[in-house]
Amino acid sequence: MYLAGVMHIKHLLSLISVSCVSLLGAKEPLLVYSHRHYESDTALFDQFTKETGIPVEVVKAKANALIERLKAEGDKTKADIFITADAGRLGLAADMGLLEAVKSPVLEQRIPAQYRDPKGFWYGFTLRARVLVVSPERVQESSLDYEDLVKPEWKGRVLSRSSSNIYSQSLMASMIAAHGAEDARAWAEGLKNNFARPPQGNDRDQIRAVAAGLADVAVVNTYYVGLLHDSPEKRDTDAVSKVKIIFPNQDNRGSHVNVSGGGVVKGSPQKEDAIKLLEFLASEEAQKSFPNGSREFPVVPGTPLPELQASWGDFKSDDLPLSKLGELNAEAVKLMNEAGWQ
Amino acid sequence: MIATVSLCLLLIIPLVSVFVGMGKGGEMWQHVAETVLFQYVWNSLWLLLSVSVFSVAMALPSAWFLSRYRFPGKTLLQGMMLLPLAIPGYVAAIVYLRLPEMAIPLLVKIRTTFGFEAYQLAEALLRQGTLSLLLAAVLSPYIHFPLRTAFQVQRRQLLEAAQLLGRSPRSQFFTVALPLARPALMAGLALVCMEVLNEYGAPHFFGVPTLTVGVFRTWFGLGDSASAVRLAGGMMLLVLMLLGAERFTRGRARFVEAQDSSAPAECPPLKGRGLFWAYLSCGVPLLIGFWIPILVLIHWSIISWDAASAWGRGSRIGESFLIAGLSALAITLLALLAHYSRRLHPLRWLKGLLEIAQLGYAVPGVVVAVGVLLLLGPLGFSGSLVAIGLGYLLRFFAVAGRPLQAAMLRVCGSMDEASRLLGRSPLQSLTRITFPLIRGSFVAVVLLVFVDILKELPLSMLLRPAQFETLATLSFGLASEGRIQAAAFPSLLMVLLAVLALVVMNRVKST
Repeated sequence: MYLAGVMHIKHLLSLISVSCVSLLGAKEPLLVYSHRHYESDTALFDQFTKETGIPVEVVKAKANALIERLKAEGDKTKADIFITADAGRLGLAADMGLLEAVKSPVLEQRIPAQYRDPKGFWYGFTLRARVLVVSPERVQESSLDYEDLVKPEWKGRVLSRSSSNIYSQSLMASMIAAHGAEDARAWAEGLKNNFARPPQGNDRDQIRAVAAGLADVAVVNTYYVGLLHDSPEKRDTDAVSKVKIIFPNQDNRGSHVNVSGGGVVKGSPQKEDAIKLLEFLASEEAQKSFPNGSREFPVVPGTPLPELQASWGDFKSDDLPLSKLGELNAEAVKLMNEAGWQ
Repeated sequence: MIATVSLCLLLIIPLVSVFVGMGKGGEMWQHVAETVLFQYVWNSLWLLLSVSVFSVAMALPSAWFLSRYRFPGKTLLQGMMLLPLAIPGYVAAIVYLRLPEMAIPLLVKIRTTFGFEAYQLAEALLRQGTLSLLLAAVLSPYIHFPLRTAFQVQRRQLLEAAQLLGRSPRSQFFTVALPLARPALMAGLALVCMEVLNEYGAPHFFGVPTLTVGVFRTWFGLGDSASAVRLAGGMMLLVLMLLGAERFTRGRARFVEAQDSSAPAECPPLKGRGLFWAYLSCGVPLLIGFWIPILVLIHWSIISWDAASAWGRGSRIGESFLIAGLSALAITLLALLAHYSRRLHPLRWLKGLLEIAQLGYAVPGVVVAVGVLLLLGPLGFSGSLVAIGLGYLLRFFAVAGRPLQAAMLRVCGSMDEASRLLGRSPLQSLTRITFPLIRGSFVAVVLLVFVDILKELPLSMLLRPAQFETLATLSFGLASEGRIQAAAFPSLLMVLLAVLALVVMNRVKST
């Protein structure tokens, strides 16, 4: 209760200070709806405020909840920017007419075309690759494709999180894009048949389970390896030391990647400032800073990597336009259900 | 009275609209029915059955020993048996998730020695067994307490008669004591089953998609709200069936209890092996359902203090305390007014209406949430304070109403009636006589509802405004990101508040 009281007072104080600032004629704060939950993001927004004088307020929640909220608020929304950790959800928000297409030469020049919406509804800022984490002791192969995991020799050796997770869904969407629905369903079914256990837990749990010897390969996002590496818990750092990353499909279309990105909310009261914030997130400064805290990859080519990500080596990524992931999401979920991938 | 009737209708409409909405079914229903429905139903039924068996196994022996025998530490244990109620299922799940993980070396051994099939079986048994056991432990008080009361009020003479007829103590228990306590057992079991159906976090974490998990997946994964409504409606039918079964046995319970008015006899002391069994039977649910979780939570809170303080910044948990507190106060007040007006107007249909309005406690949170969304969604109130407030009111109206009703019956007798006969208005009687008399219960009920709101997970997740975090949604969110230790502190805070509420409740009850 005490804690709650203190926090409540803190919140009131921040409200008061914000309204004082606006009385003095300073900028209204930009309102960001974000699904991302990294401390480092807060630091970046603070930096933006310092450089531009535009304060930033962040509402954090799950992407779906934020989409519902934007829908409910309609034209009366006070939100300026919508940020999620997945291109599929951004595409969905754009389709629902919740985002506004914006043109910015800076954004177009810095962010590669496949990592932004062709019409400018959303722009990606960080990259995450869905890779294979293997036990080097039990896996001799140095290169693997997603398609290899359904072969009989992998029976009982594969782990993945649930199909209800958006990362699994987006990988499946990329399989549909590459092979068509029928083959993608067969792949999902084959993968399920090779699972070492029914899907449970998140990507961290899959990595820990491979380290503990329960399975030999897990399908996970790269940054989870980084987050376990940074974890204060010894069992996490121990787990990371026992596994190795393989970027799949290097000899063909490349590893499946997704972005964390954002777009300007339709009806945003401060469109100009919102674009400024997006441009700031694509700036060299922000691009260099993102990967330190979240262990993702920068989206702007040529940005130097932190040591850890650099140690994983260069990789080729699937150049499927990410707007496809949103379009194929519903079909992906259906096919995974049909395949029995829990 | 008009206010009470409209309140009842407000509470009933969302549930009815779930039923009405069931008819429609969404465009994905066919797909859901063909692929995942069987799994959802199977998992739910299986979980209901296993948790029922385990919770009876945990509650029955301890209730027997604590009601019929005397042994050192009995009074302390009697009070402590309530404590597992302070641990929400998903919090216990967060703690016990480590168990299947710690067992991985063993599982690997089984796999290398006995092959993949044996391993798969062991893995499933371990995971699903852990889930059932932890849920059974935290829910066992729902069975333990009614059973204990039932054993206490049973007429000693009946057992003595059995003894005289040459029955062994074991046979006395199974042929006389247990059949007499069956209605109490069924009532407790019905509550356990409803809580199992309500549970979202625990089966989600343990990879056992039940109907509740299915509603979430259908709504958000498939984006098909109409099919989610149909699933929710199916769950509600299941609950009504459970309630019907419980009512059926309770009908006879009155007959049994009405007979008894003799003072409870002196309990015989327990020694030797009996003592061992007594301690074991109380120790197992207490350890699994309370002491292990709380000690682990304390340990994790200490070692992850930095992470725990980080979530405080930026989140608006303080607001959720304020809203939970205000909601608890409002719900308790409304319940008081409703039951008071029922005292004023002892009409059969009003009583029936109020009973139906109190069904919300039995309906899983996710179904309540779906009902509220159906009602308020078209008005543009989904994910708002109005929606979440109505959701809480629906779900916890009975939690507030029943104890208040009992308190008014017990404490006030006909005093408020006398006050009205002496010319006071109903409102004056309420504020001058009734309320001061039941003030203690009122405060305790506000606290109880407050804690229930803090613990509520599925409803809060579906109905909360976007930036709104309760301790429950925060713990769940952190844990589902795999930040288990960071989730420990909000969980611990919630458990401690719940313990406080239980202690206060107990105090008020005993005075």
